[in-house]
Amino acid sequence: MSSKSLTLRNISKRFGNVNALDNFNLEVGVGELVALLGPSGCGKTTALRVVAGLEHQDAGTVLVADKNISDVPAHKRNMGMVFQAYSLFPNLTVEENVAFGLQMRKVSKHLRLKKAHELLDLVGLDSQSKRFTHQLSGGQQQRVALARALAFEPEILLLDEPLSALDAQVRVNLREEIRRLQLSLGTTTLFVTHDQEEAMAISDRVGVMNNGVLEQIDTPDTLYNKPASSFVAGFVGTMNRIPAHISDGMVEIFGSKVVALKRGNETGKVHALIRPESISVAATTAQGNAKVLTRSFMGASSNIICQTEDGTIVQSLMTSASTGDLLPGSSVQLRVLSSEVLVANV
Amino acid sequence: MAKGIKVRFQPPLAITLLILGFFVFVPMISAFEYSIRTPLTGGYGWTHYIWAVREDDFFHYILRSMWLAGVTVLITLFVLVPTLTWLHLSRSKVRGLIDGLSLLPLVIPVVAFAVGAQISFPEFVQNTVLELPFLYFVLALPYAYRSLDIGLNSIPLKTITEAARSAGANWWRTITAVIVPVIRGSVMATIALTFALSLGEYTLTVLLHWDTFPTWVTFVAQDNILGAIAISMMSLIIPFLILTVITLFVPERSMQGRK
Repeated sequence: MSSKSLTLRNISKRFGNVNALDNFNLEVGVGELVALLGPSGCGKTTALRVVAGLEHQDAGTVLVADKNISDVPAHKRNMGMVFQAYSLFPNLTVEENVAFGLQMRKVSKHLRLKKAHELLDLVGLDSQSKRFTHQLSGGQQQRVALARALAFEPEILLLDEPLSALDAQVRVNLREEIRRLQLSLGTTTLFVTHDQEEAMAISDRVGVMNNGVLEQIDTPDTLYNKPASSFVAGFVGTMNRIPAHISDGMVEIFGSKVVALKRGNETGKVHALIRPESISVAATTAQGNAKVLTRSFMGASSNIICQTEDGTIVQSLMTSASTGDLLPGSSVQLRVLSSEVLVANV
Repeated sequence: MAKGIKVRFQPPLAITLLILGFFVFVPMISAFEYSIRTPLTGGYGWTHYIWAVREDDFFHYILRSMWLAGVTVLITLFVLVPTLTWLHLSRSKVRGLIDGLSLLPLVIPVVAFAVGAQISFPEFVQNTVLELPFLYFVLALPYAYRSLDIGLNSIPLKTITEAARSAGANWWRTITAVIVPVIRGSVMATIALTFALSLGEYTLTVLLHWDTFPTWVTFVAQDNILGAIAISMMSLIIPFLILTVITLFVPERSMQGRK
């Protein structure tokens, strides 16, 4: 196993007037899968390309197992990379594509084809080894690209939105496959995506980026439940921002008081940040505190959109069984289910 | 072409091809017919062809011209493939300027260009026959440049270059093992255009006082016009055969439907 740890220290990179990476720091442990998540232009792909050696940072260092590789050219970095666009060599067969990295490392033809078949077997495409890449579907092409990136046993595997060009079902299957392979081979992996579901589903840790800065890096669970900033709270999952009043560490929402978690003003007007599943909606015959606007049935759960008396739109996620009487226009009582809520300044 | 694809008869296309065919093939067929005439018997025969290949200088000059054409092809590929790859990858604004510069050989008269270019060469090239391939390269530049440019425009160059580099290929291997095979059609067209242009180049060669196959044919034509035409026909066929052999030996890889 040749997997190694990856460290990015104080990396800065500018493109003209745009600060793509601003004093960016990241550590990925041996065998860990870390996803970088963020909106377009947040710098996540630049960070990956700096690691790959396809971009050179203006400042800072890239370390692999504590060895400084900041000035090592891309082809000597021993990093496997899967790209967003289909990147297979159209003049080579599937097995030749997978064996390409080994060919560049002057491995004998017999050994490299043996290794290529092993990898193709792992991604379930050994039967397609003699085909040309245009004869494969998009999902199959990305599987071959994954096999090619892993064939020469890279120290780090870099995935640059490898699923974004694929159909929804293929995406789900392939992301599970990536995780299975990554775990079985123990390859340290940096995965860039703008799809939070994808990032949360397969990563050990997820780093949320904004404007070239890592806002928070944590396990998917912590990121979702304890976002470190208002941006992370809004970017990861759905978050209601409900106007509320804070005093003595307590926030008053929908008529009841809840403990306020740090961040935000100590007194006065704030926004309470509450997940849809932490808000219950109950039908009431009396005057409620909101009205149902829409109810979207999604199988086991339903999404209820309500409007409070002051015009705030509130989203709630509840089991479908308990939402049968929540008809659009009906008066309802909203309630916060959690005992503490995050607050942000207005 | 993939099986099952039917070529539909299209009258405008057929007429265009007919006219083009007329312009290309009628002079060649006429020249061939003329070259096999034997005025003494009033019939046809291979007399002039036999005469041509028995001429001592025939093989000397055709081999010399082919050698020079081969060197020109190598210079063209060595200079243009990396340069154009860089221009495409860097998306430099210089590209527009170089696009324009590459067309200059079409508008600058060879007379004006020959002497100036010659004296700008380093001494070891000046006044040796090696100066010809460098000058032929400049003359072939507008065609070779465009042919390679089209090839590089038709592929996802940035992605496959980065894929090759991250898989461990240095720049040399990226170009030779990935880019050139992927744009094989354009490279073959560049070789054919440059080879043919170099083999038939006359004006510049005469201006610089060199003897190559075309100048020799002109010389021979003074005494034996039918023999000269026979030689010209052979000079058409020989490179054609060579390029056909090259095409057959460079393995054809399936690239249809690439994205």
